[in-house]
Amino acid sequence: MTVDTEPQEPESTAMRFEVVSSALKEGTAAAARVGRLALPGRRPIDTPNFIAVTSRGTLPHVTPDNISKHLQVSGAYFSLEDFVEKSQQNLSRPPPIFSAPTSTNHPTPLYSFTGTPSHITTILAARRLPAVPSPIGNSTKSISVFTNTGFQNLSTTDYLSAASTLEPDITIPLADLTNNSPPGTSPTSKRALRMAERTDEWIADWFSSPLSTSTSTFAPVLPIPYPIQWEYLSRLAEDYIPSSQLSGLAVHDPDIIPDLATHQPSLLSLPLLSLSNPSNPHLILRHIAHGTDLFALPLINAVSDAGLALNFTFPAPPSSGSPPLPLAVDLSLPSFSTSVTPLSKSCTCYACKSHHKSYIHHLLQAREMLGWTLLQIHNHATMSAFFGGIQRSIKDATFEDERLSFSRAYDSEMPAGVGERPRMRGYQYKSQGGEENAGKKKNKPAWQKELAVEDDKVEVPETDGGRELQEKGVGEVVKGSGR
Amino acid sequence: MWATARRMASTTRSASSAALTFELVGKCSTTRARASILTLPHGQVNLPIFMPVATQASLKGLTPEQLEATGCRLCLNNTYHLGLKPGQEVLDAVGGAHKFQGWNHNLLTDSGGPMLLTPEHSMSLQNSIGSDIMMQLDDVLVTTHPDKARMREAMERSVRWLDRCIAAHKYPERQNLFCIIQGGLDLEMRRECCREMVARDTPGIAIGGLSGGEAKDDFCKVVATCTEQLPELKPRYVMGIGYPEDLVVSVALGADMFDCVWPTRTARFGNAITKHGVLNMKRELYAADFGPIEEGCGCQCCRPVGQEGSLGITRAFIHHNAAKETVAAHLLTLHNVWYQLDLMRQAREAIIADQFPAFVKKFFVGLYPDGQNYPSWAVNALRGVGIELLGR
Repeated sequence: MTVDTEPQEPESTAMRFEVVSSALKEGTAAAARVGRLALPGRRPIDTPNFIAVTSRGTLPHVTPDNISKHLQVSGAYFSLEDFVEKSQQNLSRPPPIFSAPTSTNHPTPLYSFTGTPSHITTILAARRLPAVPSPIGNSTKSISVFTNTGFQNLSTTDYLSAASTLEPDITIPLADLTNNSPPGTSPTSKRALRMAERTDEWIADWFSSPLSTSTSTFAPVLPIPYPIQWEYLSRLAEDYIPSSQLSGLAVHDPDIIPDLATHQPSLLSLPLLSLSNPSNPHLILRHIAHGTDLFALPLINAVSDAGLALNFTFPAPPSSGSPPLPLAVDLSLPSFSTSVTPLSKSCTCYACKSHHKSYIHHLLQAREMLGWTLLQIHNHATMSAFFGGIQRSIKDATFEDERLSFSRAYDSEMPAGVGERPRMRGYQYKSQGGEENAGKKKNKPAWQKELAVEDDKVEVPETDGGRELQEKGVGEVVKGSGR
Repeated sequence: MWATARRMASTTRSASSAALTFELVGKCSTTRARASILTLPHGQVNLPIFMPVATQASLKGLTPEQLEATGCRLCLNNTYHLGLKPGQEVLDAVGGAHKFQGWNHNLLTDSGGPMLLTPEHSMSLQNSIGSDIMMQLDDVLVTTHPDKARMREAMERSVRWLDRCIAAHKYPERQNLFCIIQGGLDLEMRRECCREMVARDTPGIAIGGLSGGEAKDDFCKVVATCTEQLPELKPRYVMGIGYPEDLVVSVALGADMFDCVWPTRTARFGNAITKHGVLNMKRELYAADFGPIEEGCGCQCCRPVGQEGSLGITRAFIHHNAAKETVAAHLLTLHNVWYQLDLMRQAREAIIADQFPAFVKKFFVGLYPDGQNYPSWAVNALRGVGIELLGR
């Protein structure tokens, strides 16, 4: 007995990316576009979209059950440096993640070690996003990475072998980035040239080595001017697109995309992932206007840690000449203490359906971890809705108009957030010389926190003002309880 | 008709007060352990029960939905902390702590302790919180306090304060006020306090002042002395108890309810509670251990991959992130809360099947596999209620 079925495509093992709709007009070089990125076994990602940024293999403050239940996120960025620290007790022990056993629910070591739900597309890079600057430079065959136990070198061959073992859906090969110059400054032209040459060499090594077919490669595009890296980029276009080895680009500065469109248009057939860490949605929109398809957004984690609830939509609400709206609500402000409305009126996320501003304000005041969890859920949901609106507007050919309205409707930058952040951990920052003495410690001393509130075992002077007690030896009670 | 038949077939007996029904559904034929159903304004809970502590209206990183998924239907809030943050005005404005924290099940609040000024203030605050079970303000001394006169004074004052609490309690029809038995380690004083408190007929009764550093033998004597005197058809709550051995022994001694911050606090230090004892996941030993936190555990982290809701969390991942990412603390908290609730679920099933002594022995063998080093306090306390741990 047979059942008539539509002819089915065999389960493809390759990544597929198709551009569904584009705002490209005659004469324009690069433009916003709608597409779909599909990896075998994963939930397809409609683009433009964003992926979550993990820290040590987890989305900060959100357990995997909450990711599956409450987030629409379909992809996550992982950094190898989060997994390869040298154990201080056991120096010879290889990083445990490489031996994590797999199962149908956790099909690769990266999934099984981190408990990441299997519908999430995994993207592996060497360094955290944003990366902690390293005082040590890169060498001809290795880069400097920052682990929980300090800086160490990661060679191109080690990285290749790690990617082969971990089998992420997408790997970003090593790039020679300047990680010791202050943020915001561009490398000297001599240094920039070497960055391009090394990255070019490394990519050639990468593609000449056997790599698991289940991993797609997104080659880095360096944050340097096109003329300095044109040789590298033309090799990508001319050698690795025809050989089908190159599946996408990991763009460190999306402002280069118009140049790519002019000089290497074939590269724009690939999905473009931005690693530029935009600090606000206006920048995201600008990069989408260039043609960026995917964003890794560390911004969301930072916003949640700052006690902010994102509060913008795309398209922006119709404005009537009113002053620009804030991009986020600062839940630490005392004015929210009795506000029983959701974080954002239009939001349907778990945090907004189940809780209100008053509670989240309280959680931040009390430094309860749930505050950051709920903000993460809300902020990721807000960003998903933002990208959904962008996709619709590109399809409707209203994107450019809406982008302009959005820029008028909202403030240009995020508020800073007055709340105290979660404790910083060693792998998140490198203390600069003199900072500690200059009173710029990243964390408050732990004892202050304990004094504030630590469960219910707070040592608080007994102030039972009942008259009988005052007369008869309160002091004894205090003494006794100390024993 | 079906309901009537069921009631007749069982030996169930129950007692009700304005905002609570206590239904005794099983008794151990050897020990004093009991299984019961407690119906509170926000639903039914099965006793014996462990109640996790959501000190500041949040259970250490878990969403109310996650806490609910562990099976928890009754948890604690601390009156003192809620009085400071968010404060009584906010609680009144929002409409109580259930609404405030999005928890639709039961809440129990402590009295706020000596930080509050008067019984009236404590009641007023707990009325604003709206907890399903409120505790009277009591005068707590450490049980090891040497001054007997001072101890008696504290006990007597606690009785007087109960009267003031009862008088000040605004909503007896929707919130239950429990009394607290005091009297230190003096068993005669405890008996006297039981008589006084029982006479005031609160819907439930707590045994207080324990877990303050007294010898475990003394702790057990106090619990046993009190449970002997207490009315059968009221819930008995031993305050501040949370180590698994203490829970199991206290159940054998006839107690029904327990609370402690230890399981959730120790989770944040990287410790997992298991049937084989507490394991510190930060130890190098677990760095490449890809087993579940506890083999055979049914919590979301541990249940076998492929089962509904399984997260497939390994010891290696907890080790990787313990004291680093908050997620590791959340996962261990999920596990530890599950462990404590499940321990009480198993005890309850054993009591109903009248297999409780076998359950107790199996529990202690899990912790002390050589069968040798049982703590003597547990051996003695259990012997007192008919369980011989050292026997075959």
